[in-house]
Formats: sequence, C-alpha cells, structure tokens
Amino acid sequence: MLDNLSAAVGEDDGRKTILKGLSLEVPAGEVHAIMGPNGAGKSTLSYVLTGRDGYEVTEGSAKLEGKDLLDMEPDERAAAGLFLSFQYPVEIPGVPVMTFVRAAINAQRKARGEDEISAPDFIKKAREIGQILNIDAEMLKRPVNVGFSGGEKKRLEIFQMMMIEPRFAILDETDSGLDIDALKTVADGVNALRSPERGMLVITHYQRLLDHIRPDKVHVLAKGRIIKTGGPELAEQLEKEGYDGILGEAA
Amino acid sequence: MTATDLLPALKNPTEAERQLVDLFSAYNGDENQRRSFDIFALTGLPHRRMEQWKWSDVRQAVTSLQDGSANRPSDISAPDEAISIEFDGQSWSFPDELPEGLGIFPRTGGHDFGQADRLPMGALTAAMTGHEPADTLIIEVSGKVAAPLSITVRGGARSASFGRLVFILREESHLDLFEHYSGGAGLASYLVEFGLAEKAQVSRTILQEASTKDVTAITSTAHLAAEANFEQTTLAFGGKLTRIETHLEHKGENAKAVLNGAYLAASGYHVDFTTHVTHGAESCVTKQLTKGAVADGGRGIFQGKFLVPRTVGQFTDADMQHQALLLDNGAEIFAKPELEIYADDVECEHGNTSGQLDDEALFYMQQRGLPKTEARALLTEAFIVEALEKAQDGIREQLIEATRKFLRREREQA
Repeated sequence: MLDNLSAAVGEDDGRKTILKGLSLEVPAGEVHAIMGPNGAGKSTLSYVLTGRDGYEVTEGSAKLEGKDLLDMEPDERAAAGLFLSFQYPVEIPGVPVMTFVRAAINAQRKARGEDEISAPDFIKKAREIGQILNIDAEMLKRPVNVGFSGGEKKRLEIFQMMMIEPRFAILDETDSGLDIDALKTVADGVNALRSPERGMLVITHYQRLLDHIRPDKVHVLAKGRIIKTGGPELAEQLEKEGYDGILGEAA
Repeated sequence: MTATDLLPALKNPTEAERQLVDLFSAYNGDENQRRSFDIFALTGLPHRRMEQWKWSDVRQAVTSLQDGSANRPSDISAPDEAISIEFDGQSWSFPDELPEGLGIFPRTGGHDFGQADRLPMGALTAAMTGHEPADTLIIEVSGKVAAPLSITVRGGARSASFGRLVFILREESHLDLFEHYSGGAGLASYLVEFGLAEKAQVSRTILQEASTKDVTAITSTAHLAAEANFEQTTLAFGGKLTRIETHLEHKGENAKAVLNGAYLAASGYHVDFTTHVTHGAESCVTKQLTKGAVADGGRGIFQGKFLVPRTVGQFTDADMQHQALLLDNGAEIFAKPELEIYADDVECEHGNTSGQLDDEALFYMQQRGLPKTEARALLTEAFIVEALEKAQDGIREQLIEATRKFLRREREQA
C-alpha cells in the first residue's frame, strides 16, 4: 500500500521530482497493472519501493503487510517479501545461478529466523520450476545473466521469483524484449504464482502482457501520479485510444 | 674479508645494510658468494629510486634487522601423499626416503646465480646461502613424480632468513609443487630457480602469508627448454612488504607458461607481484592472469613485462591481464603492464583495470535478499577465484576458502 508517495532522483541541480503524491493499494491476492507513457515514473516507482541508492523519498509512505518498507535496506525489504523482476536484469560474473539463488533464499530465511533450505529440496524445486519455464540445468550452472539473451534473462527473473516465493512481486516491463512464445511462458509462470496470500504489480507499457496475465485492476500513471483506475477494460481502451486520449480526458 | 672491505661499495649504508655486511662477513664466503654480495652491494637494499622498486621500498621497510613475528598459525594442509620439505628459518629438512625420479641434495658453497645483476634480493640470497647448515637444496627430478612436493617455509622468528632451492627438471620429467610461505622473519629472502629441460612440466602453487612486521622477498627464475610447460598460481596476502618476483625465459620453441595469481591486501599489508617474461625462442606461449583486491590501508602492486626480441621471438602468443578491485576508499593499487615487442609476427595482448564493484550488480543481489557485505564478498570472491582455477587439486579449495575468509573479514590478522 502506497500513500501519497513522492520521490526525487539526482542531486543538487540535476535533481528531479519524479513521483508526485502517488497513492495505490494492492491487496493480497490481487494483481494490479500500472500502465503509462515513457517518463511517467514507472521504473522510478519500482526502484523507490526496492530501495535503490539515489532515489530519495521526499514524502509519503510505502507499507507491505503493515511494515514500513522505506526504513529498510534493500535486502531487508527482500526478506520482508518484496521482489522486483528487473526491466534490465544485471549480470553477476562468476556466480552461477544455482549458487546465487540458493544464497539469496538462505539469506532471506536467515533474516526471518527460519532454517536454511536443504540441498535436495532446493535442487528438486529448481528442476520443477525450470521445467515450467523451459530453463535447462545447463543454464542454471552458468553465471547469472552472463551471455543470456533478452528472453533468457526475463525467464530467469521469473525463475527466481518462483524460487523465492515473495509476498509481493513487482514486474517491471517484463514483457519488453520477449517474443510471443516467451511472453506466454513468462505469463504462465506469473499465473502459477497467483495466490490469495500474494499481491503483484505488473508495470507495462503495452497491453499485450495483460492478455495473458489478467489484472484485477489497471492504473494509469502519468507525470508521477495515478490519474485513472479501472478494470482490465481500461488497458484495452488505452491500446485503442493511446495515452493521449486518456491523458486528455483526465485533464 | 672483513666488514670494512665490503662497506665501501655500499653508499651511506643503513643500519640494516651494515647488519647484512656483518652477517656476510661472518661467513667465509667463496668467490661465487662474494660476487653475489658485491652485486647486491652496488644497490644495497632495493629502494624507490630504482625503477623496478619504485612502489616497494625495501630499504625504507627494513631500517634495521629486527625479529619477525611468530609464524601465522596455518589452517592449510598439504595432501596426505605429499613429500614434505621444511625450512625453519635457517635450514631445510626433507625425508630420507624419496620416490624414484626425485633426488634432493643439500649444497654448501656458492652456486652461480646468473641473473644477480637484475635481481638484487636474489643476489643477496645467493650470497647469504650455501653456508652451513643446509640452507640450499638442489632438487633433481628425472621422472614423473606422482606425489606433490609440499614446501613449508617459516622465518622461525628470526631477524633475517635466507633460503635457496634449485630445481633441475630433466627431459619429460613432471613435478607438482606447493609452496607455503608463512612469514616469521623481520627480513626473509628466498631464491627459487627452475631449469626445465625439453618437455619437462612444473605445476607450482604458492601461498604467501605474513604479519605486518615481516618483509619478504620470494624471487624465482625459470628457464624453459623446447616444449617445456611451467604453470604457476600464487595467492598472496602480503605483509609489511612482500615482493613476489618471477623471471621466466622461454629458451626453446613451443614452450608454454601460465603465470596466474591473486593478491589480497588488508589494511597495513603490502603485496607486490612482479614478473618478467622473455620470449627467447619461437612459438612460445605465455598466459598471465593476475587479480587483486585491496582494502582501505592496503597496497597492491602489479608489474608485468613481456619482452619479445626481434630475431627469436616470432610467433609468440602472449596475454597479460591484470584486474584489481579497490574494496574501500583508501585502498592503493599500482600497476605497470609492459609489452616490449620487436618481432613482427606475434599475438600479444594485455589488459589492465582497477576499479570498484559494480553498484548495479550489488543492488540486484541485495534485492534478492543478500545483505550488502555478503553481496560484496560473493562478487569479489567470484572475481578473484578465476585466477586460482589452475591451482593444484586439493590445494585450490583451501585457497578459495582462505579468500572467502579474507573477504568476509573473518581472517585473523596477525
């Protein structure tokens, strides 16, 4: 749940206010979509929520299951259940996927005071999820994202999400760079994670991902604020009329 | 010969240099040893005004000979089947029974050191060894020795420690070597020479540790005949000052060398990797990968040189890479990679980078739940380990574990 969130990026003269009093609530069990034109603040929102350096919250609050996210380090937010599927997944040279994901899961469990995942359980789960996402064992041995194609990187983000099982997931432009088949695979993964305990926020520029992941609500983000909220039909309207139509209507 | 005879060569000797003269005068050195000392005396302890030593000033680091620390307690163990050779700060000991193909002979008296004029610490060691008791070993390998040789070198809490090893590898012989230097002398200088005959193979793994009281120089030379193969992997944690210098020369066609290594310098530690490779024969290969990670108050140095002469160095294939990470503000890294190539049909590459960990990668890892310190350690470990991949089986994992501990600041600092 976000209340009146405002945030700025940059320092001194280069400082720009990107989010201007954004309020949004995604209840557990629901999938919401945020759509908006370029420069609306979509990616800023995902970085502000996950706590990236350089994104300063100037006003408002962000809570996950009642816990104030903005006071936490990025890894603490992850342990609290927040997951971001990156628009541009980052290469981690020399660290194999399996090593990385297991270290991440165990770090989160440790932070929550839980036991580590056992090696056999971890491998079994990785194999099952790999099958759903069409990721073979060879890919899981390679260093994270190094030499991966755009589609492979996005599938690996969903793989990590399914392994980590977050309480709340943000998917930032997960559809960009995906062909139709990959889009379907990714959507299947996301749909598999839908659950009454889990909320999801799908950030996208186009409607096509929402054909596969039917959102409960669609919000239109422009100039740092939510200017319109509706059902899935709003996405279709956007596709037909373009952002200009909706923006003009809201103004 | 008296101390006063030797002194004039040294200009304005420091307290430490006077002590070295006294030490040498106490021996009844032969012509070889005197010649080595004379060459050393031309420069004295290497210092910053010498180009090759501008970042590692031994003269300043050793103002007088003072007792070293106790040796670091070691948690590294050699493979069970290893043949163990130990140095206690003064003399070598080795097993009476040796496998076929391996001979170890203590040597008294000077043993010619051809490169003394280029390697002042090597010259000093050549002068200071060859005396009683056994401080010099000639190790002759005439076959494929299956068991690795494990060489443990301790300073023995002495003010000065000198030791020398001369490896003679006959045709088609093979030796695996693990050397562990653990400090413990105020000034320690070791000279290790390798002569590889045709098709001889040496796989050498070195671990160096010391305290911030210890100044250590490990000087190695290697001559490779045709189709010889020399592989070296070093992991060094440094000391007050540590110089690990390797001079390798390809003397026969199709010889191959790998000179890999990683240095990890904590606050107060100084590590210097210096290498010099001469492609003195056609179609030889040299691959060099050096990685470093330096914390606030630590200092890492890489000086690498490939020399490819015009007439003999054709078809050289050589690659020199140095990549270092500054772990904190206040870390210091100095690098001087040099390619000096006169031959016209060669493939020589080099790369040199010093930087910090990628912030984007760190954020990505944190977003997945890894605390920042753990993310940094994991990323740095993966970076360093690449240079340790060719270390000896059974030792490699232990080197990686030592790296892990260093990066998580779990390593006991002496």
